[in-house]
Amino acid sequence: MTSPGQPPGAARLGHPVLADPVLADPLLAARATSLLTGITQRIGQVLARVTDIGAAAESIAAATQAAGPPLRRDDFSPLRRRVAELLRAHAGLAAGAGIVLAPGTLADAPRCIEWWWADQQAQVSQLHVDLDPESAEFYDYTTTEWYREPERTGQPSVAGPYVDFICTRQYTFTLAAPIRCAGRFIGVAGADILAAQVERLVLPGLAGLGRTAVLASGHGRVIASTSATLPPGAALPRRPRAAGFVPLAGPGPRPPAGWGQAPDLLPWTLLAVPAG
Amino acid sequence: MGSSALATVRARTLFAPLDAGGRAETVARRLTQAITLGLLLDGERLPPESQLAGQFGVSPVTLREALAMLRDLGLVETRRGRAGGSFIRAPDDPQAAQVEAVLRLLSVHELRDIGDHRAAVAGAAAKLAAQRALDGDIATLREHAGRLHAARSVTERRRADARIHVEIAAAAQSPRLTREEMSLWSEVGDLVWLPVADDQVAEVAAEHDRLVDTIARQDPEQARQAAERHVQAETGRLLDLRLRMGTV
Repeated sequence: MTSPGQPPGAARLGHPVLADPVLADPLLAARATSLLTGITQRIGQVLARVTDIGAAAESIAAATQAAGPPLRRDDFSPLRRRVAELLRAHAGLAAGAGIVLAPGTLADAPRCIEWWWADQQAQVSQLHVDLDPESAEFYDYTTTEWYREPERTGQPSVAGPYVDFICTRQYTFTLAAPIRCAGRFIGVAGADILAAQVERLVLPGLAGLGRTAVLASGHGRVIASTSATLPPGAALPRRPRAAGFVPLAGPGPRPPAGWGQAPDLLPWTLLAVPAG
Repeated sequence: MGSSALATVRARTLFAPLDAGGRAETVARRLTQAITLGLLLDGERLPPESQLAGQFGVSPVTLREALAMLRDLGLVETRRGRAGGSFIRAPDDPQAAQVEAVLRLLSVHELRDIGDHRAAVAGAAAKLAAQRALDGDIATLREHAGRLHAARSVTERRRADARIHVEIAAAAQSPRLTREEMSLWSEVGDLVWLPVADDQVAEVAAEHDRLVDTIARQDPEQARQAAERHVQAETGRLLDLRLRMGTV
């Protein structure tokens, strides 16, 4: 969903209008921008490590292919150390991480999820998922947004929030970066972040804006909010302006004034109700 | 495989003590599910009756009753003599016979109660999904509804069906309802397609399309009703089949 620089929500949310009373307060947009920039940078740190893991997986795949033998599951076991490092470095934010490979990539497994999750004590355990297509519980990860977006765009992406019913079983974001071998997409490296953790990071700042404020995903899904009538998980009104919301900050340049530009990494928008 | 194999983690899970009032049917059902899930294998010897009764927390009489039911179903064979004991017999014709055995061990009342629980969860999930689903969620639901039409085996149908309901709960943005759907489907999912004849498959698949349509129309009340009616129809088919089976 998040090819950087082209946030899907941006078009729908429309441009702020100069006459909006909320925009008379330039400090508000500045604070909103700072808040959104802060969370973007924090998530960007995790995504940077995910991208590193993807690059390491690409090196392994390239080296193995150059040497001749087909790729096997064990070839990727050195990644485990990097995944554990990610989970340690971002304990409390990253709940799980690993790689998944496209069907047919490995010689010894039709599908592959090498995913680890961290418990409260930061102990790392491997996730076990039923990948046998004949089994009734079979989990087809190739239909998920976090797999499809990097496959489609060739770019890192931040999917969610969504109900992750396989790994975290919670309301989750998945950061994912494509893995390529010889120009071909062979899977993604990724990390899961619980929506509750993101909320903890941004809610104090939202509340500090002093009016009803909402952080929404590029799809128009509420991530965090100071309004009980528009809680996390709710769909943002199709026309936020008609519902009284003014976009304050988001990725991408956005004339006219009164809009704060956050880093392009996340297609998230911060909105507020002027009369809060 | 000897009885020592049962002294493992899976055995501890399998033979966890039953709730107070655990009856022979419950013991028999646990064992049948274990056979269906492949936790107990063909030819495997069960622990001695006294030990098994202790593990289930039931009296030896209750356990013997349960074993008698399983013998009647052809799932357990008891041999006498020094190498004797109770042995698992997993039927050669797997799916249908085993699933039917599971159904036979559920009372009509229990089936109705499971149906009520499923209708409540599916109804609430559909209603919230109609309020909260975005275009991408609808596309996902339609994709899995399409897979149900394309499914060619009972396993494929069961998988596609379960996935649709889990995805509806996920579209409701509710981890709890999603986990509830998953747990219900792992518990009784095998039963759902048992009473569906080949010429009814298209209609049941179309029922799912209509449910997804109500969610796509963002009509919470219609969606809730469609989900409830859908589960009630399924429960009705199961009750009919169960009543035709008679008692064990």
